[in-house]
Amino acid sequence: MFKFAFTDLNQFIYMEGHGIYVWSVFSIVIISLVLAFIFYNKQLKKIKRKHSNE
Amino acid sequence: MTDLLKIESFKLRKKLRAWLGPILIFLLIMISFPLTVELASDELKNVFYSILWLSSLLTVMVSLDSIFLEDFDDGTLEHYLILNNSLFSMILIKIFIYWLLIGIPISILGTFFSISTSGDFSSFYIAFPSMLISSYIFINLFALGNSLSLNKGSALGALITMPLLFPVLILLGKIVLNANFGFEISNLLLLMLGVLLIIIVIIPFIISFVVKTHLE
Amino acid sequence: MLKKLYHQFASPKTYVVLVDKIYPIIFYTSLITYVFALIWGLAFAPSDYMQGNSYRIIYMHVPASFLSESLYIAMAIAAAIFLIWKVKLAAYIIKAIAPIGALVAFLALVSGSIWGIPTWGTWWQWDARVTSTLILFIMYLGLISLHSSFTNYEKADKFISVLVLIGSVNIPIIKKSVDWWNTLHQPASITLTDKPSIDPSMLYPLFLSMLGFSGLIICLVILSSKVQIFNREGNKTWVKYHV
Repeated sequence: MFKFAFTDLNQFIYMEGHGIYVWSVFSIVIISLVLAFIFYNKQLKKIKRKHSNE
Repeated sequence: MTDLLKIESFKLRKKLRAWLGPILIFLLIMISFPLTVELASDELKNVFYSILWLSSLLTVMVSLDSIFLEDFDDGTLEHYLILNNSLFSMILIKIFIYWLLIGIPISILGTFFSISTSGDFSSFYIAFPSMLISSYIFINLFALGNSLSLNKGSALGALITMPLLFPVLILLGKIVLNANFGFEISNLLLLMLGVLLIIIVIIPFIISFVVKTHLE
Repeated sequence: MLKKLYHQFASPKTYVVLVDKIYPIIFYTSLITYVFALIWGLAFAPSDYMQGNSYRIIYMHVPASFLSESLYIAMAIAAAIFLIWKVKLAAYIIKAIAPIGALVAFLALVSGSIWGIPTWGTWWQWDARVTSTLILFIMYLGLISLHSSFTNYEKADKFISVLVLIGSVNIPIIKKSVDWWNTLHQPASITLTDKPSIDPSMLYPLFLSMLGFSGLIICLVILSSKVQIFNREGNKTWVKYHV
């Protein structure tokens, strides 16, 4: 079950021409998840700062 | 009850733009579509019903954009709320009057258009009942959306109401599809009527809850 | 007794304390699960004999489209709780979920349309499932704009709950659209009742990626609900000790 599905790393990135679709979806999903986490953590920090100033 | 009926119909009738305007808008939309497709081509026949549903939807959207606004501003809604809680029946009747004065005329006009476009009187049985029922559903749902966005502009009301209408539009599309294939459409019409009967009772109830919240 | 217990549990303070405890556990397990599932799915799962390697988008697309519906259902449940029992926490959670639901629906749309290029030959298709996901996305945006147009949050909470509940009639239609219409979109790959239509070696990473993605989104909901609670209850004393 854990056999590498490609012959080498270049094949893995190229994916028989489908790589561009797979990797663009991958990067969009990952980037938006990371950005969402950063956004909410920043908001929480802002609230924390506001309360410690009071 | 009859008093309410009289008052509400008077309120709508005395403003000519509020009930004649939407009917004329419906006419204008229906007239402007043949101008954009080549006249007397089959294309118009193919897309005619979707034009019909969409123009009735747009007409209802335009006509209901301030259905509760005036009553809210001049305190009529508050009056009915205090007056032995007759808000529910007042909203029920208000919606009914809108359907009577706008929904039924555009259904008749739309049926004329559909008969003249298809050149076949049998399209009366598709267009008339489905337009009567669907316009009543549209009016109910737009009334709900506009009660939510009461004094925040009609664009917000349209934005939150339109997604709720998609099931009805899908059903209408199914009716036309079945009619084109020569299948029975009465079961779909009855389904839509059942949905309408549920909506008629539930929506005024929800709207009165929303209006109460607005007046708090 | 029961009522007291339940009021205590539903108080924002208890919620924040509880959530602070479980947040790291959920976050790290689901992060590891998601990363593991993506590596497994992208590098080790066998390629599909029909779609080639482009099917690997499934490991990002299916979790997103699954969650875009589940988040709406969660909002509908919270709306019912808020309107029936007047639990304020439920209203905060509705407000917290709405933007995240919009994000997830957007991800489902984008990943689906990119997947459409190699498989359908077009990036946009007016097919039932795509259209209904777009409707879901617009519904999330409508909820956000409805809530943000009122300065009185107490009222806005009630309105948004009413709208969420009414809008939930669209959810079964979105869920069933693939079965009811004859469209390009393939039927749902995984259902609870039937045997899955795909091979186990592709299915296990898919399950894991759904679990991991759901966990990460739950973490986002926790964070954003904390933001909501602190903003709305900011003047209460307990907030000062918990931020």
